[in-house]
Amino acid sequence: MWLLRLAWKNLWRNRSRTLITVSAVAFATFFSIITGSLKEGVFNNLVKNIVSSYTGHLQVHQKGYQDEQILDNSFKKSALLEGIIENIPETGAVAPRLESFALVSSGELTKGCMVLGIDPEKENKITSVKEKLVNGRYLSLEDRGVLIGAGLAKKMNVSINDELILIGQGYHGSSAAGKMPVRGIVKMGSPQLNDKILFMSLPAAQELFGADSLLSSLIISLDDNTEPSGVAGSIRAVIGDQYEVKTWGEILPEVKQHIETDTNNMRYVQYILYLLISFGIFSTLLIMMVERRFETGMLLALGMSKLRIQWLLITESLFTVMLGSITGILMSIPLVLYFKNQPLRITGEAAKAYERFGFEPIFPASADPMVFLSQGLIVFVIGLILSLYPLYVVMRMHPVMAMKK
Amino acid sequence: MRGKTSEAGIIIRTIRPSWSREMRVKTWLKGTAYSMILVESPPKDKGIVFLKRKNEVWNWIPSIEKVIKLPPSMMSQSWMGTDFTNDDLVKESSMVTDYTHAFAADTVINNRKCYTVIMIPTPEASVVWGKLVVCIDKTDMVQLHVRFYDENNVLINTMNGYEVKLMGGRTIPTRFEMIPADKKNQKTEMIYQYVYFDRPISDGFFTPEKMKTVQ
Repeated sequence: MWLLRLAWKNLWRNRSRTLITVSAVAFATFFSIITGSLKEGVFNNLVKNIVSSYTGHLQVHQKGYQDEQILDNSFKKSALLEGIIENIPETGAVAPRLESFALVSSGELTKGCMVLGIDPEKENKITSVKEKLVNGRYLSLEDRGVLIGAGLAKKMNVSINDELILIGQGYHGSSAAGKMPVRGIVKMGSPQLNDKILFMSLPAAQELFGADSLLSSLIISLDDNTEPSGVAGSIRAVIGDQYEVKTWGEILPEVKQHIETDTNNMRYVQYILYLLISFGIFSTLLIMMVERRFETGMLLALGMSKLRIQWLLITESLFTVMLGSITGILMSIPLVLYFKNQPLRITGEAAKAYERFGFEPIFPASADPMVFLSQGLIVFVIGLILSLYPLYVVMRMHPVMAMKK
Repeated sequence: MRGKTSEAGIIIRTIRPSWSREMRVKTWLKGTAYSMILVESPPKDKGIVFLKRKNEVWNWIPSIEKVIKLPPSMMSQSWMGTDFTNDDLVKESSMVTDYTHAFAADTVINNRKCYTVIMIPTPEASVVWGKLVVCIDKTDMVQLHVRFYDENNVLINTMNGYEVKLMGGRTIPTRFEMIPADKKNQKTEMIYQYVYFDRPISDGFFTPEKMKTVQ
């Protein structure tokens, strides 16, 4: 106990030295939290962009649909199948979809578009289409109108209540053609989707494509922090091999790879940061030991055992590093929260590159407590490892040599 | 088979490994330049009309009350889900003037003695095929078998004619099947129900306006 008290007193005996060490650790923590939180935030945002705007975490298809995404590979809608999937504990919402392509035309303009027949209420639970509505109203199952992506609406020069003409190929080569009014305009996060998506109610899509009671996919959301591939396995086990279960990573492998590459790049940046942090903290320790050489030598000469001195020094380091880490965490909170609400927006060429991948070009920060804890802990551990240096100095110390001026 | 003009009722069956689909259409042809196809069933597609004028294809879709001119990008796509492409409707090459002909060894198809003719397009002909092998019945002089090769001599499609009988005053095969070479268990069948040859049809019949009212 006296050791703790002595260590605490020692800290404040030379305030400025302690403050310098504390602030070295604090800034180290601060920077590693900011980078860590941006890294987390950016990639979570990418995944969220994809999962919550389009694919869902998992999708169930008729076997073979993934390789040939055509209407002829669709399957009969079955309440039983949906029930079985909903009953798996990790799954959240399940929503049926009929997906296909069509030409959409208004006046003189014709564009290709992606048609998504959705169950409006169920779909909303996964992809929150309703919140993306910028104009007009949301669909109901009985509705025979469409929601159009804001980008597509702009290209087509249409607004609410304008009539669109849809032409495409339906199920088993039948013709698909229909006239449908625009009910609402939706702003999708992904620019790619925004420029070509068209939502309509599931029955309307089934009617248009002559695909009575057929679905091309069931999309499934999972509870947070659930590994999709594990749940995919348990779904596969219960629904039989007539179907295939795909994770979002399998549906969009190029996006998944992009995220993995970028995560690795960010990791190297972080390693370099840790290296810089280590040098920063180490230099303060180095100077401290030079300054306290006489003092430590005298303690030794007075008969204090080396072990006790080492305990004293490690306790001091513990206090300093802990103070530093906590200060760093406290300092980073406001900035992280700011970047979370006001994400960095990328412009220019880089933004275009992101848009090509279908991502929003923004860098939001993640305020996940795990980021603070893990980054704080990493710096704390670095600090503690470096405080082995004073112990080493004490171990090799000879009192007479140390006190010689 | 063609006559100056012809008018026919045809059942078109699209046959795929896991499903098949039947359409009834009515066709009007005049020379190689004009043709009109009216879909009579299934109910969902009823009233859809395709019009071919020279090398243009027009499509009347009653449910949206629109006449659409098919863009070049759609010409190579499947026609109504069958093994025919939109391009197949437009081609107006002449079996006689656009190809050079050579006899190969005779053959027998369904107990009918046939000539085998190898047809190579002339350099100036605008033909998509690199070679055609045609088997022609010796007595009735009708095509019973055609193999379509591309310019690399790879087999693309095979067409077979069956059930040769008298229809519309001529002896013709009344059932055809078109088999794409690269797709297993997949073909399109055409069964003629009636044909009238050489009934006069005016050029004014083959206009986009007429598509909306044709019966």
